[in-house]
Amino acid sequence: MMLSSRRFTKKRISLLLAYSLSALLMIWLSYLLPSLLPGDFVTAMYSTSEDVTLTAAQESELRAYYSQDTGFSEYLLKLIRLDWGNSYAFLTPVSELFFEALPWTLLLLVSANILAALTGFIAGVEAAFRRNSRFERSLVSCGTVLEGLPEICTGVILLAVFSLYLGWFPAAGAETAYAELSFQAWLLDVGHHLTLPLASLVIAYFPGNFLLTRTSMIMVISQPYIKTAQAKGLSGLRIRYAHAARNALLPLVTRFGLRLAFTVTGAFVVERIHAYPGLGTLLFNAIRLRDLPVIQAIVLISSIMVLAMIMVLELVYAYLDPRVQDAYQR
Amino acid sequence: MAKKFALTVHQNTQEDGDSLMALIQRCTLSLIFILFFGIICFAGNSEIRIADPSGDWGFPTPYRHYPRGPGYIRMSMVFDTLIWKDTTGVIPALAESWSYEPETLSYLFTLRQGVKWHDGRPLTPADVIFTFQYLKEHPYNFVRLDSVSGCEIAGEHQVRVKLHEPYAPFLAYMATMPILPEHVWNKVKDPKKYVQPDSFIGTGPYTFVDFNKVKGTYLFEAFADYYQGRPKIDRLIYIKADDPLLALLTGKADLAEIEPNMVKILEKKGMTILRNQRGWNKKLMINHTKEPFSNKEFRHALAYAINRQEIIDKAHQGHGTVASDGLLSPDHEFYNPKTPSYEYNPAKARKILTSLGYIQGKDGFFAKDGKPLHVRLLASTVTTTDRDGEIIRHQLEQVGIAVDLQMQEKTAADTQIKAWDFDLAVSGHGGLLGDTVMLNRMISPKSGSVNSARYGGSKKLLGLLKEQLRTMDKEKRRRILAEIQKIYAEELPSLSLYYPESTAAYNPKKGISWYFTPGGIGTGIPLCQNKAALLR
Repeated sequence: MMLSSRRFTKKRISLLLAYSLSALLMIWLSYLLPSLLPGDFVTAMYSTSEDVTLTAAQESELRAYYSQDTGFSEYLLKLIRLDWGNSYAFLTPVSELFFEALPWTLLLLVSANILAALTGFIAGVEAAFRRNSRFERSLVSCGTVLEGLPEICTGVILLAVFSLYLGWFPAAGAETAYAELSFQAWLLDVGHHLTLPLASLVIAYFPGNFLLTRTSMIMVISQPYIKTAQAKGLSGLRIRYAHAARNALLPLVTRFGLRLAFTVTGAFVVERIHAYPGLGTLLFNAIRLRDLPVIQAIVLISSIMVLAMIMVLELVYAYLDPRVQDAYQR
Repeated sequence: MAKKFALTVHQNTQEDGDSLMALIQRCTLSLIFILFFGIICFAGNSEIRIADPSGDWGFPTPYRHYPRGPGYIRMSMVFDTLIWKDTTGVIPALAESWSYEPETLSYLFTLRQGVKWHDGRPLTPADVIFTFQYLKEHPYNFVRLDSVSGCEIAGEHQVRVKLHEPYAPFLAYMATMPILPEHVWNKVKDPKKYVQPDSFIGTGPYTFVDFNKVKGTYLFEAFADYYQGRPKIDRLIYIKADDPLLALLTGKADLAEIEPNMVKILEKKGMTILRNQRGWNKKLMINHTKEPFSNKEFRHALAYAINRQEIIDKAHQGHGTVASDGLLSPDHEFYNPKTPSYEYNPAKARKILTSLGYIQGKDGFFAKDGKPLHVRLLASTVTTTDRDGEIIRHQLEQVGIAVDLQMQEKTAADTQIKAWDFDLAVSGHGGLLGDTVMLNRMISPKSGSVNSARYGGSKKLLGLLKEQLRTMDKEKRRRILAEIQKIYAEELPSLSLYYPESTAAYNPKKGISWYFTPGGIGTGIPLCQNKAALLR
């Protein structure tokens, strides 16, 4: 027992080391990659304007003015002090922009992920237990078709139908700008604006969750212990969710986690179509303007989030499935 | 009251109750309707919402807005200029009158009295003098003051601005230059870094309230003490909307730039459509610094090989007109109708190529000294994604020029164009309606713009460009500009392809009649959001 637990700790430590090394690598990549983009801020901002033409001297002066690059070690030190630098376009701290955009992205992505995971999970479990019924077959074919539809397509269709023709939902933004509403009215307004982008994302995420749950459930159902549970006379609901579904949960959790990890950039397309504020839009604009500090920060946070999510998943696995814990101790 | 009413309902019989319930429902519905309608009506009288797909154009203060038209327009709501433009031409703004004194090479501006800054302080001639000095020290990109040698207070309300030499675009710059409050900016050393509440103090019709960097929205409120009277609309709001059609149809926006193919739908819905003059051209940049493009004849062959009407028809559903080869728009007052042009003529293109020593092979492609004629065409999303590049490739290949088409992201393409790392490139720019100082920017080899031909091949052309800036006499300037257009078309350092239709739509029920300013706002901004439309 002593030996195994020591081995367990050792494994943990080496794992932690591996994660730290990958984090460092990601910081380096997030620092390096954006600067490899062709063109720079001054070119993107000034060189195609017909109203403003700069002389070569003015241009190099601006370039010097905007250059913040002082090498990777300096960048790393600044990061440790939680200093992400200033945006070129606004000359305000990147963190200020980031945290202004983050709540909207979280609202959209987290609610979409939870909704899609819950509905996909329940539909998957129910479908697996009703295998070959009309309900299951129609749901599977529906899911397969939807899985093939890109977000850009569903987003535009939803906009055309519910915003343009029916006029039920607004077409752009996260709230009515400067509407001066009471808190309740504001909440309603935000919900109203959230509906279409949220629906596009749920429609995009649901089929994958559903098909995945259904497939893993079908594998679980054929296991003898389900038969045992049925023979014991347990209720259908209990068999489905307490006995079977828990064992089919692992792939879904992985998918959910990885989706969450891509929160920062995951809603990019939907944010664009619905002109929804958020990190995707922020990144898009930053790339367009070659606003390097903003690109670096968002790329860094999104890659670190993937890493963190993988780490969290590993811990959750052990909790959900004792076999994983076992594997550590062996 | 409502509670009492509801109680009596309960005491009634079932049947009565049903009909009363229906009545209550109807009452509630109409109440909601009235409330809603009331809000809409209230908002309608006091608010204008303008949509644009980008949203963010920087802070609306001179040194911090983006160097593009929409950035300038937002700033112009807060800061007034000495003079301004509307449909009638140049109009008084902070200066009630102005005159040019040729003997002393100076302009005399008489300032309006009783003008207040947004913080309540009065505007003084010293503020105007300060603005000139400050802008000379810290250049504001939209205004060139190289020609100004000095300025002084001439009378109690008068300012005299002296020039080094006659400078024709001076007034256009005066219609662009925001006047800054001395009491704010005199302590500011680095205006690019200065964003404080007082950096938005101007004399304009609107005060700045908010700019949301992440959502790309702006809020301006009417300035009650504005010297031309409080503007008609209380709140001016800019919103970000990816699709102007949707924004207008769903009532989220009252004004937006639109694509020409949206006109019919919007007209049906009661929107007023505005069509601008031809002020923006799609352009084919030619790398005249390298063989064979350095040869004028070869550039002519390219022009003959390209069917510009076909590009308009196939890529833009016919919404556009073929451009003049003299760069200036046919709608410009100085346009030369006798500018040489190169109408589509593939036979002539082939003939020129043959005369240059190219031989057409069996595969139909030209080659010289055994080397195939092969050009690299760079295309990017200049404004929106289109098929211009593909069509040009097809047309050149029809004539016998092999083309390697490379589609790239905009800034990536611009970086290559800037470094002369291309053969041909699809590009474009506006400003064709404004002051002709634009021709100098778009031709001069010293220009930093990637849309500029940057052509020094004709000394005569460069000389004339300089001369047109020094010519104060309008007719004389017209003659020089006619010559400039002629030489430009003959030299053809780059090829203007076509003018896309430029349209905007607005909701007339809001009580504002927007318009496109002839010659553009300031030095030529082709947007219809002229603040003068908001004044009483």
